[in-house]
Amino acid sequence: MISIHWLLFLSLALFSIGVYGVVARRNLLFILLSLEIMLNAVVLLFIAGSSFHGNPDGQIMYLLILTLAASEVAVGLGLVIHMYRQHHTLDVDKLSQLRG
Amino acid sequence: MSDFLGDITGDFIIPIVILVALLLAGAWSTWLERRILAWWQDRLGPNRVGPFGLLQVVADMIKIFTKEDWIPPFADKVLFVIAPMIVMIMMMLGFAIIPFAPGIQIAHFDNGLLFLLAISSLSVYSIMLAGFSSNSKYALLGAMRTAAQMLSYEVFMGLAIMGIVIVADSFSLSKIVEAQADMWFIIAQPLGFFLFLFAGIAESHRAPFDLPEAETEIVAGFHTEYASMKFGMFFIGEYLGVILISALITTLYFGGWQGPWLPPLLWFILKTSFFVLFFILLRAAIPRPRYDQLMAFGWYILLPLALLNLLVTAAWQLAPTL
Amino acid sequence: MIEVLFFIAAAVALISAAMTVTAHNAVHGLLYLVVTMLAISLIFFLLGSPFAAALQVIVYAGAIMVLFIFVTMMLHQGEKSLLEEKQLFQISGSIGAFLLSAVLLVELVYVLAGFASPQLINGSEGYFTIQTITVKELGIQLYGPYQLLVVIAAMMLLSALISAIHIARRQKNPMQADEEGDQTL
Repeated sequence: MISIHWLLFLSLALFSIGVYGVVARRNLLFILLSLEIMLNAVVLLFIAGSSFHGNPDGQIMYLLILTLAASEVAVGLGLVIHMYRQHHTLDVDKLSQLRG
Repeated sequence: MSDFLGDITGDFIIPIVILVALLLAGAWSTWLERRILAWWQDRLGPNRVGPFGLLQVVADMIKIFTKEDWIPPFADKVLFVIAPMIVMIMMMLGFAIIPFAPGIQIAHFDNGLLFLLAISSLSVYSIMLAGFSSNSKYALLGAMRTAAQMLSYEVFMGLAIMGIVIVADSFSLSKIVEAQADMWFIIAQPLGFFLFLFAGIAESHRAPFDLPEAETEIVAGFHTEYASMKFGMFFIGEYLGVILISALITTLYFGGWQGPWLPPLLWFILKTSFFVLFFILLRAAIPRPRYDQLMAFGWYILLPLALLNLLVTAAWQLAPTL
Repeated sequence: MIEVLFFIAAAVALISAAMTVTAHNAVHGLLYLVVTMLAISLIFFLLGSPFAAALQVIVYAGAIMVLFIFVTMMLHQGEKSLLEEKQLFQISGSIGAFLLSAVLLVELVYVLAGFASPQLINGSEGYFTIQTITVKELGIQLYGPYQLLVVIAAMMLLSALISAIHIARRQKNPMQADEEGDQTL
């Protein structure tokens, strides 16, 4: 039998790994990857809730998050390509031109 | 005791027999392709080793096994070794859900079609990894082309299959075959069949849609740097892909194992071989399009047609309930 | 049996997620992430959501990650980008981030474990009685009470499509053209 607590812990641990990635990495591509990990952690919680309570609402939220992830990646990767063209690097710390 | 024996046959013997038969079929279809192509082109083809050249495959195998297993020093070694394995594993997994005959099916899976789409989307990785890890320009170009081509044509494949799901009211392949007892789905879904055929050719990247490995443009595409057994795995994987797509066309559109007089398994094999031959004929008959033509054909022609097919099928299915 | 599978999948997911965020080679990181996705898909399957499991593989591992690899392959410059990445990120240099996220994890577990106390999860002690949710049920819900969600998802995808095309298109900016010359990517 799987306990909801294990799933809760797995989801939170994945989320924290994602947060670590976003904070620690400076490469835009890896930041996007870490965001994907965080989205996956959230999705895991939704599906766990859905199957724990036996109603499909959580899975419908999963579909919405899936489209959200797809859109996010499309725009994000567009930005990555654009940034690489302009700066020839993916280091987000180089994007400081707006600083006063 | 008899239960135990039944379990053993169902769980171990049938899968192993299917696995071995598939590997042999994959290997011998290389011979078939060379002979048939030669026949159509007024040549002889391999006819020296054994009767009709049948043992040519064995000779090729010996040659391929004894060649030096070379990994280029500039390659990403781990990925370079993993890539050809992925294609073999994925193609083999794909056969797990095909109902060869009543009772001869490895996995009775309710969401068989979804599993199939998942398998076909994961098999992109073998080619992308092969292209990336080779660290060579031609391989990279081939891999990029493949990624775009397979991503696009997966969409049309999924949309074409959804028409079948609507008509058969199930994702399970054995239920889909049973639903075709009165009428093959080629009659109910003619447009869907052509869409699936095009998408299938592109997914198995066979001629005329073999842009990932177009010899005249990019040497050999993603497997330029591969030699020996690893190349052999790509090669067999490609033929297994052709057999898988043929088996799928048979299952989804031509009634699977259903047919009069002959035993079901024989019907299945006959229908599948017909489509394998059809794939070989395509290679002999049709020239390769340009890359942008391929993509434009997909997005401008196949996508609207697939959506139209889905819409009309759904409307047809819902009309009696209104 | 199910617990064993779950624990293996969970361990694989956690380890490969950790490998993703610490990888130096972008393609290796991506592949670890794909493994995470596959492990999560297995967990979905164990929880009785085969449709979500299939979508996780088809859409996440099969489409979104392939897009990532596509872009990475375009931007990858072999040894040069590896060296750059090693300068940008070392594990030893990110202790602060590690501590912060560890604190976050502890807090989240503390707070949510309080919420998921046995009284609040109607006496079942938190154990699953696995019931499969079929695709049909999901479809009926999706095109019944959740119709608006379909429209929202469609709008979101369309807007993402348009903005991605707009962002990634090569601009005909004279200043930039001087800078880049004929160089393509």
